[in-house]
Amino acid sequence: MRKILIGMLAVTLFYSQPVTSQDKKLKADKLESETTLVFTPQWTAQAQFAGYYVAVAKDFYRDAGVRVRIEHPSTTQPAMTRLLLGECQATTLQLCQAIESIDKGTPLVNILQTSMNNAMVIVSARGKDPLKQKGAKVGIWSVGFGQLAMCMSIKDHLDYQWVRFAQNINLFVAGALDATLAMSYNEYYQLIQAGVEMNNNVYRFCDHGYNVQEDGVYMTREYYEKHRDLAHRFAQASRRGWEWAAENPEEALDIVMHYTEKDNIATNRVMQRMMLKEVLRLQVDRESKKREFRLRPDMVQLASRLMLENQMLSREVKYEELIEH
Amino acid sequence: MKSLLNIEKHMKGILQYIRRKLSIRVSLSVVFFAAIIFIVALGFFFYQAREAVRQEAINRAMQTLDKTSLRVEGILNRVEVASEMTKWLVQRHPDVPDSMFVYSRSMLLNNPDFYNCSIAFEPNYFKDKGRYFSAYTKHDCDSLRTIQGGSDSYQYFYMDWYLMPTLLNMPCWTEPYMDLDVVTSTSEMLTSYCQAINDKQGKLIGVINTSLSISWLSQTISAVKPYPNSYSIMIGRGGTYFVHPDTTKITSQTIFTQNLERPDTALASLGHAMQKGEEGVKQMKMDGQHCYVFYKPLGKTGCSMAIVCPESDIFSGFDRLRNSVIAIVLVGLLFMLIFFIRIITSELKPLRRLATEAKTIASGQFDAKLPELRRIDEIGQLSHSFADMQQSLVKYIEELKKTTAQKASIESDLRIASGIQMAMLPKGYPPYPERDDIDIYGQLVSAKEVGGDLFDFFMRDEKLFFCIGDVSGKGVPASLVMAVTRTLFRSVAAHEALPDRIVTDMNETMAANNESDMFVTLFVGVLDMLSGRMRYCNAGHDAPILVGSGAGLLPCDSNIPVGVMQDWKYTPQETTIDPGTTIFLYTDGLTEAENKDHAQFQEKRILDVIRQTPHAPKQIIEAMTQAVHQFVGDADQSDDLTMLALQYKHQQPDIYYQRSLTLPNDVQTIPKLSGFVETVCEASNLDMDTCMQMNLAIEEAVVNVMNYAYPKGVKGMVNIDATISSKGLKFVISDNGKPFDPTAKAEVDTSLSAEERGIGGLGIHLIRQIMDGINYEYIDGRNVLTLLKVI
Repeated sequence: MRKILIGMLAVTLFYSQPVTSQDKKLKADKLESETTLVFTPQWTAQAQFAGYYVAVAKDFYRDAGVRVRIEHPSTTQPAMTRLLLGECQATTLQLCQAIESIDKGTPLVNILQTSMNNAMVIVSARGKDPLKQKGAKVGIWSVGFGQLAMCMSIKDHLDYQWVRFAQNINLFVAGALDATLAMSYNEYYQLIQAGVEMNNNVYRFCDHGYNVQEDGVYMTREYYEKHRDLAHRFAQASRRGWEWAAENPEEALDIVMHYTEKDNIATNRVMQRMMLKEVLRLQVDRESKKREFRLRPDMVQLASRLMLENQMLSREVKYEELIEH
Repeated sequence: MKSLLNIEKHMKGILQYIRRKLSIRVSLSVVFFAAIIFIVALGFFFYQAREAVRQEAINRAMQTLDKTSLRVEGILNRVEVASEMTKWLVQRHPDVPDSMFVYSRSMLLNNPDFYNCSIAFEPNYFKDKGRYFSAYTKHDCDSLRTIQGGSDSYQYFYMDWYLMPTLLNMPCWTEPYMDLDVVTSTSEMLTSYCQAINDKQGKLIGVINTSLSISWLSQTISAVKPYPNSYSIMIGRGGTYFVHPDTTKITSQTIFTQNLERPDTALASLGHAMQKGEEGVKQMKMDGQHCYVFYKPLGKTGCSMAIVCPESDIFSGFDRLRNSVIAIVLVGLLFMLIFFIRIITSELKPLRRLATEAKTIASGQFDAKLPELRRIDEIGQLSHSFADMQQSLVKYIEELKKTTAQKASIESDLRIASGIQMAMLPKGYPPYPERDDIDIYGQLVSAKEVGGDLFDFFMRDEKLFFCIGDVSGKGVPASLVMAVTRTLFRSVAAHEALPDRIVTDMNETMAANNESDMFVTLFVGVLDMLSGRMRYCNAGHDAPILVGSGAGLLPCDSNIPVGVMQDWKYTPQETTIDPGTTIFLYTDGLTEAENKDHAQFQEKRILDVIRQTPHAPKQIIEAMTQAVHQFVGDADQSDDLTMLALQYKHQQPDIYYQRSLTLPNDVQTIPKLSGFVETVCEASNLDMDTCMQMNLAIEEAVVNVMNYAYPKGVKGMVNIDATISSKGLKFVISDNGKPFDPTAKAEVDTSLSAEERGIGGLGIHLIRQIMDGINYEYIDGRNVLTLLKVI
């Protein structure tokens, strides 16, 4: 999920218009605020957000009577920041991130849960088994996402030395790390693309009792309470977008590539195809074998308790705190 | 299927044509060998030349790579030295944050080609500077801009360039990255040299990051084009393309990307080799084209550069040369073939004419004119030899004609001789159809036109005279001796009834003038038809087989063949033949008949055939002939094959009347005889004339006995027995006087006058005239003369 460009340059993507026109735009936005929703996926354009791009491209939002504008985050304004600042009304977050935010005092509502499985993996260098690398230097995203890995490191007494990085897999490829965290739909394929061979050097959290859901669409509870109908319609149209993408992956891929090219994202169709395939796979519940689009209370409880046990939370965040009332 | 058959037919036609044309065959052989030599020589040359071209391409590409690498190395070294010096300065004054801006700025001032420089410190290192402190200098148009680069939005200590040297614990170059200038919307490819700064205790305090634009490098590498269709690529540690002819791949794809969907082990192997910083050449398929890929790491950047050269480009010159040479050689060989065919055809032209003339000669025109060749080579020699041969042939044919004519004449003579010889043999079977007491069948098959075998028989005075013989040698001499033998037999047997005497006489005659030392094995037999008594004499011939109730050899004395020695006393033998018995005589052509394995027919087989065959002569001989043919098979007949079979079938007639008369040897008693004869004739119902003639004949015979059978003054008796039977009237005149055979007298030549004829003989002549049969036998010391009259 790391952008290959040095991050600081991306700031200007959202601030390149003259101030006068921006003022006008803000005013217009205010006028439209009742029906317009700014949605910010938690990272740059990629197949991880294919359903939302499809919903826009196929007018599912418009059909639902929601005017949606997708604005990607920057390093200066991560999705959560944008949500808190009111720059956007909806964003995608991982469940653990959402729990963390609620614990820190920002009530959030999950209006659509897309992921049904955990995608995080640990990939070790030199073909070693991650579970046998006690005290290894393991790369972790500087912006979060690594909560479960930290829990696992403590629980399994692996005492990993976490090396926070902002960028992509370069550190690992350069041999500076013993292992790195990766998402099975993104960095995992980036590593393969970088010539890393995957054998017994991959640890999948979902297979070791850490199968905690990830991506979901969140709103601040405050906004949600005021725009329940809008939120609901937005969620339904987004879900429709995902379902269409699952049925028409190649066409969905065309739409994704349109977004990546527009934002000059250094990626390729092969990579995005694999990402979409994996993201869609992760959306299918292991037990029901269905695309359920719901938050599972057991997973919320598992994530919350794991984080609490490892002092990442001050209290246990309950399932009810995350869902619509 | 049909077209295949057509092709096959055409091919056969072509091959047939080539087989007929010596000129094409020879030319093809020469061109074929020339082609082999060319293939070997050119193959070797092409191989060597291709290797040289390949080596040249490798050298050329490697030189380019070395040059680029050296250039990169030089610049990188400068960055490293400058960074090292700055690090030294920072370490001397680690507690003066503001001086870091000076150091950073100085770096770029002293090295205007550097892109930027950061001297970044650990979070909260300077207590009064807050969490972030990074002295950052960058070119800003023509001036330098120095600022504090760290912030919440740019937490430098999470950046690769900061983490890498600290984690690796050594200075290093980052992976190249595209730096986008928002103001100008231009991107710059950068790589950064990062060096960790430690305090005196060795604790990390910060990192110096000096960036260098490598856009020039990417341009330089992109421009490397040793061949028209070659191109260069550059990849980073992660395999990411930083230089590639397909610009969409730059920074967005790695060398392994296409491997995710279409596994390509060669490309993956190249990627790994380049990632490891190896240097070398690989021959592989890139985008469906066979290419040579030359690769080499670019200094310490972790990047690797490769030049991809299509084989078709590298070897295009070589291929053109090769194709031209092959074309020239092919055309040359074609011309060579045509030239040879023409030359050989022209050289062989006289030979063709010679062949035509030879054909004419072969058709019989021996005087056909041969082409005159004034050549001294092999064809000329052949022509001369042929002319000589023609002359010899003409002569030879003339001689052959003569010889053939002579041979034809001889053959004609031989045919005539054969006819004569065959005519000597009895023919027309049965020979005595009027007789029911004898059945005869004989057969002679000559091995050549004329043969030396003979057989003969004739009936005289109720006696069957027969003989079988085999002359030594073959062909004309043997046939002549055979003719002599047969003639002698006839002439001797005409007046001699005893076989030993017949043989002895013949031997005397033949041995007397036998200059050619030829001889005859001969069996002579005389079968008395009335009594079945058979007298015989065997002169060295195979013993006959008697076929009666059983089959067995007739015992024969060992006498020498006829003609070997004069004065030889041949011993007589006799036996009685029972009615129904067949006497089977043969020559050694039967016993010694050979098959292809040179096995002989032998007596055992003869006896086997006889036992399985009825006793009729013709059946025996035919069965024997068939058995011999079957045995001999395809083998040639080596000797004359002669067989003679006689079956004695005498039956005692029914007697109606019988009367006897005994007279002393006194002619005065003749009237008694006349009365006796008249009585008998009357009983026979003969007419008067016949009775008178009969009386005359009997009287003549009896008077003859009375006068000569006994010495003068010696009294003797003459018995006359008369019998009338179904066969006729029979008078048997017997006496015990001295043996005398009146039938043995030579026939009287009645055409001579009484003076000219010898004494005696007229009586027996008279008897023969009157009687139908006369027979003499000397039995048990008695002369027995039988006179027969058929009534």
